[in-house]
Amino acid sequence: MTWISKSVTGLGLLFLAHACYSAYEHSALHSTSTAALSTTSHIATAASSLPIDISIETLVAVFTVCLGLVLGTPELRPIQWRVWAGKIEREGEAGYTNIDGQVDKDYVGNPFRVLESRPGFVDIRKQRKEFAAWVREGGGSDATIKS
Amino acid sequence: MEGSPTKEGPTSVASAKSSVPSSSLSFRNMHRVFTASRTALKSFSSYADLIRSSPPPSSSFYAMTSSLLHPPAHLPPTVALQLSQQAPILLQSTPSSISPYSLSSLWSAAESPELWMTYENLMLSCLRTGDEESAHLCLERLTARFGAENERLMALRGLFQEAISDDDAALKQVLEEYEAILKKDSSNIPVTKRRIALLKSLKKTPEAITALNQFLDSSPTDAEAWAELADLYASQGMYQQSIFGLEEVLLITPYAWNIHARLGEILYMAAISGEAGAEKYLAESLRRFCRSIELCDDYLRGYYGLKLTTGRLLTGVPQASRQAKSDSVLAAPDSKTVERLNETATAKLTEIVRLSTRGDAAWGGYDKAELIAAKALLDTDTVKTTR
Repeated sequence: MTWISKSVTGLGLLFLAHACYSAYEHSALHSTSTAALSTTSHIATAASSLPIDISIETLVAVFTVCLGLVLGTPELRPIQWRVWAGKIEREGEAGYTNIDGQVDKDYVGNPFRVLESRPGFVDIRKQRKEFAAWVREGGGSDATIKS
Repeated sequence: MEGSPTKEGPTSVASAKSSVPSSSLSFRNMHRVFTASRTALKSFSSYADLIRSSPPPSSSFYAMTSSLLHPPAHLPPTVALQLSQQAPILLQSTPSSISPYSLSSLWSAAESPELWMTYENLMLSCLRTGDEESAHLCLERLTARFGAENERLMALRGLFQEAISDDDAALKQVLEEYEAILKKDSSNIPVTKRRIALLKSLKKTPEAITALNQFLDSSPTDAEAWAELADLYASQGMYQQSIFGLEEVLLITPYAWNIHARLGEILYMAAISGEAGAEKYLAESLRRFCRSIELCDDYLRGYYGLKLTTGRLLTGVPQASRQAKSDSVLAAPDSKTVERLNETATAKLTEIVRLSTRGDAAWGGYDKAELIAAKALLDTDTVKTTR
């Protein structure tokens, strides 16, 4: 997805640069030619207006850049409470990983989980016992246990 | 209504299931029940697939810090072990002391709040897994930065001493230290909480409840303390007080969907414990579970409770007696609504279990133990209907 958005944005910027350069060349060419010919003011105003193809190219370039930037935006977060909460419960961390497979830094999961885990009242001795029991049961067989 | 929940007969599955909510409805206990019996694990054939399909734990620093920035009490033992195994590397990679006037502070921040949060949570994980050296190092660095008189650090130091003490005498000494600190400064909230936690750990639950009530008199907006009080009351079987505590939590955090579900569970436990007004409790429990689902799409715990309560409402009391009592309290909805709610809950639970066990990426966030419990509930239900 990102390479599409990046290439579209790049293409748009290329068009924009080309349009700018064309406009510059056009005005430079015309100012020299009008100075040489020393024509009337009527022709000078006609010469100062850009040809239609340069205007169109500028507009197309701007829209292409806009399209590329919009395509590159990350997925929108839900703004409804129940949808947001449901996403947390249903997907967990997997719903908040970016393209590199890393969890977003602002991911907190269920913010009300602390009301049930209650870090201020943590019973560390019970946790240690439970952990020791888990190791004894062979729960750590998939991971290497430190001494 | 009677307290004994076995009305459907002595099938092995049904009795196994009904023994769980009578002791406690909480899913933590269900987890223990199911991990204790290996047969239950094997009956859930795709449990191994579940574990395999869960994303492999990444060992990169950033993936780790995301879980290190939050208190680690809820983490499964695998993650705790993994975190504490990384501790020595992490402690080596971060500077042991941070000087306020270094040259590098010109272009980068010398320290960030995340670093200190990481230290604190790393210390908790290490204490849990028994890596006391790393925990002590974390504590030393925190003390070097914030000073020994910091309230939070006083509590952390006490926690460390609690963890390394072997016998009750040492714990009593820690308790006395807490009391000495509180005598000097009774507004020290972290140490007050530690003292209560230690009382609870020493099986002095009545003292813990008294202390917690005193604490809540002085700081009544502490949702964590209300939740702890509710839990202590529930452990003593005092469901009315527990319900009151959880209602206070909901006054402070009205959108906490897990607390709504927890309140529903306590109400359900009160209803099946044979107290007076079981009908009222069941109706209220049904409403709480509905609210938790309303606040959170596809909430497994909410649907589980909804299925339990509606099932009980449908089998328990005949419609006529319910109508008679319904003049004073908010009555349960009529049986047709309850039946439809039950069907919805069954359908939703089936869908959640099916999609999660299939290893769908968008459905992988559920707790394995909760999934097993939901599967067991659905299985007993089908056994009942086919019979």
